[in-house]
Amino acid sequence: MKKRFAAILCVFLMTTVLAACAGGKSEISQSSASSTQAASEKLDPVTLKILMWGNRPADFDKVVAEAERRMAGTLNVKLDVVFVPVSDIMQKIQMTLASGEEADLIWDSPLASMYSNIASGYYEPLDDLLKKYGQNILATRPPEMFEGNKVNGKTYGIPLGDSQYFGYTYLIRQDIRNKLGIAPIKTYDELVKFAYAVKAKEPGLAPILPSIGFLSEASFRSRFDQETQIRRTQAMADITLYYKNNDGKVYNLLDEMEPKVWDWIKNARKMYQDGIIHPDVLAIKDYEGEFSGGKAAIIPVNDFGVKNNIEQAVMKNVPGGKVEAVTFFDKTPKKNITNFSQWNFMSVPITSKHKERAIQFLNWTQQKENYDLLAYGIQGKNWEAVGDDKYKPLDSNYSWFPYLWIWNPTFERLNASQSEEVIELNKFTRDANNFEKDVLTGFQFDPQPVLNEMTKFKTIEDKYYPTIFNGVLDPDTAWADFKKEGGPSLKKIQQEMQKQIDAFLHE
Amino acid sequence: MFGHIVAFKQFRPSQGIWGSKWAGLDNFKFFFSSDDWIHVTVNTLFLNSMFIFFTLGIALILAIFLNEIRYALYKRLAQSVIFLPYFVSWLVVSFMTYAVFNTSDGILNKLLNAMGEGSYNWYGNANLWPYILTALFVWKMSGYVTIIFFSAITAISSEYYESATLDGAGRFQQILHITLPLLRPTLVVLLLLQIGRIFYGDFGMIYGIIGDNPILIPKTDVIDTYSFRALRSLGNFSMAGSVVLYQAVMGLITILFFNWIARKIDRESSLF
Repeated sequence: MKKRFAAILCVFLMTTVLAACAGGKSEISQSSASSTQAASEKLDPVTLKILMWGNRPADFDKVVAEAERRMAGTLNVKLDVVFVPVSDIMQKIQMTLASGEEADLIWDSPLASMYSNIASGYYEPLDDLLKKYGQNILATRPPEMFEGNKVNGKTYGIPLGDSQYFGYTYLIRQDIRNKLGIAPIKTYDELVKFAYAVKAKEPGLAPILPSIGFLSEASFRSRFDQETQIRRTQAMADITLYYKNNDGKVYNLLDEMEPKVWDWIKNARKMYQDGIIHPDVLAIKDYEGEFSGGKAAIIPVNDFGVKNNIEQAVMKNVPGGKVEAVTFFDKTPKKNITNFSQWNFMSVPITSKHKERAIQFLNWTQQKENYDLLAYGIQGKNWEAVGDDKYKPLDSNYSWFPYLWIWNPTFERLNASQSEEVIELNKFTRDANNFEKDVLTGFQFDPQPVLNEMTKFKTIEDKYYPTIFNGVLDPDTAWADFKKEGGPSLKKIQQEMQKQIDAFLHE
Repeated sequence: MFGHIVAFKQFRPSQGIWGSKWAGLDNFKFFFSSDDWIHVTVNTLFLNSMFIFFTLGIALILAIFLNEIRYALYKRLAQSVIFLPYFVSWLVVSFMTYAVFNTSDGILNKLLNAMGEGSYNWYGNANLWPYILTALFVWKMSGYVTIIFFSAITAISSEYYESATLDGAGRFQQILHITLPLLRPTLVVLLLLQIGRIFYGDFGMIYGIIGDNPILIPKTDVIDTYSFRALRSLGNFSMAGSVVLYQAVMGLITILFFNWIARKIDRESSLF
């Protein structure tokens, strides 16, 4: 889970590079069409303290001043936003909550300590407040986003996200593909053909550089398994335990090997032996850095599209270097299953003295003009609009961070510099109706009863999983060892999980 | 000291140390319920013994050599060069290590290729790594210990050497009969201090260089990296606390034992 957190964090830190910007005077008129009750009457002035992580953007104060100007006379909210370094945020949240320090809105995540904070009773259930003051908050998100993220049937945090499904992509070197005269890649087989061509004609360039954990070659392929929808569970960061189709069952690879997964592993083994997979795949810590340095032709990454920082780095490090994104995601509606999990939330601590105003303020941010202001900064200085749903950053004084407080799939603009295809994909994943709903939507796994098994299995898994799934060891013998060492623990975790799932489905 | 009580609790930061539920020995189960704790303990002891032995040994030799240099400017230069690696962080060392040992364009493999040999997959052979790690540790840390030995040597009264010279003792005899015996207390203190920490793996170093490389884990996994990997995703304070308690207790036993031996041999040089 930490891995996923790190990965998501990375994605976010990188997206901040996209950056919106500073300055100019924007004369956006106050929205009058809002349905908030707040707008109609004048409220006592309050200052809301908001806790989130990251660096304070250079133009943040200007943006806040503009926001406060717009709220003056109606909502009368002043903002005291505290940015905590990302390395300290978990501790800061827990200390704030435990000491009852004044705070009105707090960023939290299941990947940080959200569930334990909820279990400790630190967060206010928001369902009633949202019904009363949060019409825009509810209207800008599909209901599945709330349903999929409830804990014990209650909403403890406003889900922040603009996508109902996690996208995955192979980044490949477009300049090499063109040089070798290979047509744009559409299938996995073509990707492998490209890799073999790189091996034959481009010495010094590793064809494929996977990473470890879920991003190992054979396990990454599960993201493009449209037929059986093999996917990770809430308990494990990889597919040793997995869901299949939509039958509410937890499957266990160590118990019974899935023929399809075994093919992926065999294929990875062949590619490793053929020198297609980087020989030092397990020793490389910064695999994106290797790709950016022009040492590899293909890497698997999170999200759709090419990350800005990687594109820049490749252009800088390799003369003529160009990166393109290849994904095998099937854009047929209802083809893919999702449980609508989100990873960022805005919660209201139980000790806040301004709970209603906090929700009213968030509701105010969920209007297009206000969202644009807080998400991208001042129009004309930090960013400019491209159509209704895209934007172009103009400077880097207001880095992109709506995921920390206001992110929603309705008003989020896409960066106009991305390719048409990537924009299409991102738009597709916004719409909840494009996905089949997981029967386990809203299910949360409680690891407490099997904590010892979980810790024990993780150390075993670290020894075998990346090795086998990247083809470094002979899968026939290594899998037997993995099974012998890790099988009993994983079985217990699987049984506990199935027990919790059955209870969940029974309700 | 009181912090160790976390190891026996089901600790939740929100409930505080005293408010958390008592868990007895539950937190120790994950560590002791498989054979892994024996492997990682053996690895920790083996690696640390190698580190201590070679660092002290080589530092001792270096300090004596430094002392024999008569040309002051060169002596100072040599001293600085030996000391320099101490200031390089383990993270930087890990990148240097990768630059030397990687398969495709590592310095070592390029050297092999130039000599007409094929490339060798250094990261694929776990047996080599305890020695590579020892070499790196000695390279980085021995300069620091050398300076301690060297200052101890400088403190030896020159009268000993003068009278030895008068009696006709050569350089080598002086080292053997004056320098080494007078360095013994310093050596024993340094040894005991390091033995006190013999159950603590150098996390920054081992995780920095080895990372999550599963091939190398069997030979290089120490107690600290093992518990880090087991607990990193769960953030369980109490289980981590149980491992720290184990290390502390074992460290205490070891140092008491070795101090007892030191006292048997020479009362003066024991720590307490």
